[in-house]
Amino acid sequence: MRGFRHTVTLAGGLVGSGLMSGCTGQQSALIPRGEDAAVQSTLFFVMLVGAVVLWLMLNGLFFYLTRVRPGAVPQRLANGMIIIGGLVVPAVLIGALLAWGLSILPDQQRSGDGLTIRVTGEQWWWRVEYWPEGAEAPIVSANEIRMPVGERVEFALGAKRVIHSFWIPALGGKMDMFPGRDTRVSLKATEPGVYRGQCAEFCGASHAWMAFAAEAMPPADFAAWLDHEASAAVAPSTPDAVAGAEIFAREGCGACHTVRGTDHIGQVGPDLTHVGARHTLGAGRLGATLEDFAAWISHTDELKPEVEMPAYGHLPEEEHRLLAAYLKGLQ
Amino acid sequence: MKTPQEPRAQEERREFREEAESLFRITFAPVIWAAHFLLCYCTLAVVCAKGGDPDFWRTALVGLTLVALLAITWTGWRAWRQWDAHNTGDYANARGEDEDRHQFLGQAALLLAIISAIGVIYTALPLVLVEGCR
Ligand code: HEC
Ligand SMILES: [Cu+2]
Repeated sequence: MRGFRHTVTLAGGLVGSGLMSGCTGQQSALIPRGEDAAVQSTLFFVMLVGAVVLWLMLNGLFFYLTRVRPGAVPQRLANGMIIIGGLVVPAVLIGALLAWGLSILPDQQRSGDGLTIRVTGEQWWWRVEYWPEGAEAPIVSANEIRMPVGERVEFALGAKRVIHSFWIPALGGKMDMFPGRDTRVSLKATEPGVYRGQCAEFCGASHAWMAFAAEAMPPADFAAWLDHEASAAVAPSTPDAVAGAEIFAREGCGACHTVRGTDHIGQVGPDLTHVGARHTLGAGRLGATLEDFAAWISHTDELKPEVEMPAYGHLPEEEHRLLAAYLKGLQ
Repeated sequence: MKTPQEPRAQEERREFREEAESLFRITFAPVIWAAHFLLCYCTLAVVCAKGGDPDFWRTALVGLTLVALLAITWTGWRAWRQWDAHNTGDYANARGEDEDRHQFLGQAALLLAIISAIGVIYTALPLVLVEGCR
C-alpha cells in the first residue's frame, strides 16, 4: 500500500513536471536551443503560415461562392478558377516551399568539432561513451548526455537488441538506432540548459520510460565535468555510505553494474561510477534524490515494466536507505 | 440483316484496336515519372552507400530528368492532338460514342502528362538543391 502511494505521488510529480516542461521548452522542437532545431522550427512556422494562407483562400472562395454570391458561375470563370486556383497556384506554391525547404535543410551528418559521443540503445536505457578527439579509450557514462555549448558534437548511434531512436527535440532532428549498424547525427547547442531527450521508436514495454537529460554546458564547465567523469569513483565517505557499499557488494549489484575503482565491473546495466551526479535515474524515470534512489531499488519493476534489473523490495527499508546513501555519494 | 452490320462491326473493331492502344498510351507519362523516380533514388542510394562521385551522378540524373521531361512533353503533345478540343469545340466529350471515347482518352492522357511533368520536376529538385550525400 505504501509502495503504491509512493508510486502515485511519483507519477503525479512526473506528470506535473512533464506539463511544466511543456511550458519551459525542455523538450520542444518549437522552442529551439540548437542550430539544427532552429532551422526546423523556422521551416515549421513558414509551412504553417503557407498552409493557413492556402486554407483561408480556399475556404474564403468556397464561402463566397456558396453564401455570399450563390448561383451559377460563368464557364470561363469556372475554368479559370480550376486551372489557376486548382493547378497553377498550388503547383507553384508547393514547388517554392519545397525548393526553399530543401535549400535550408541542415546536413544531419555534418562533421563535428572534435568530440564524438557514442550512444547505444539498450532495454530501456542509454549506454554512453565520450570519445574526445584522438582518444584511444572512451569515458563511459550512461543515461545522460552532456555537451559543450557552441560546439558541434557528433553522435555515433547503435542499438543492442531492437531499434530505438535518439531525439533531443530542443537541439535537432531525431535519428534511428539499429542493432549492428552505425548511424550518425551531429548537434550543436546554442544555449546552455538541461533539455530532455526521448526514445522515439517503440522498443518494448518501457519504451515511454526511456528518456534522458541532455545538458549543454559552457565549454570550460564541460571540460571540467568530463575530466571528473573520467576519474574513478570516490570512496564512500559517511558511515551510511560505507554500509551501503557493503550491501552493494553483498547483493551482487556489481555483476551488472560497473563502479570504476572498485571490483564491480558488470556490463549488463548502466555504469554507476558517478551515478550520484546524474539529473535522473532509470533513464529519466525518476529524479535523483535519496528518496528516488531508494524507490528505484525497491520498486524497480513497478516503475519500469519488464525492466532488466531485479527489484530489491525484499531488503529491509533501512538497507534501501543505506544503498541510496552510497549511490548518491558517487558524485 | 447481316450485310449492313458487317462494316459497322469492322469499324468498331478498328476503333477498339486503337482504343486498346491508347489505353496503354495514357500510362506512358506516369510510367516515365515512376521510372525517373526509381532511377534517381536507387542510383543515388547506391552511389552514396558504395562510394562514387555524387556530383557526377547528380549531373547525369539532371540530364536524365531533361530526357524524361522531353518524353512527357511529346506524350502530352500527342494527347493534346487526340483530344482535339480546339477543332471540335467539344471539351467534355460527354456523349458515349467511339469518337468521344477516343478524344476523352486524349484529355485524360494530357492531364496525366501534366501531373507527371510536375512530379518529375519535384523529384529532381533535391538533385539540384541538396549537395552530396545527405
Ligand atoms: C541483472 C542485472 C542487474 C542487477 C543485479 C542490478 N541491476 Fe541495477 N540496473 C540494471 C539495468 C539493466 C538497469 C537499467 C534499467 C532501465 O533503466 O531500464 C539498472 C539501473 C540501475 C540504476 C539506475 C542507473 C541510472 O543511470 O539511472 C541504479 C541506481 C541501479 N541499477 C542500482 C542497482 C543496485 C543498487 C543493485 C543491487 C542492489 C542493482 N542495481 C542490481 C541491471 C541490474
Ligand atoms: Cu527505445
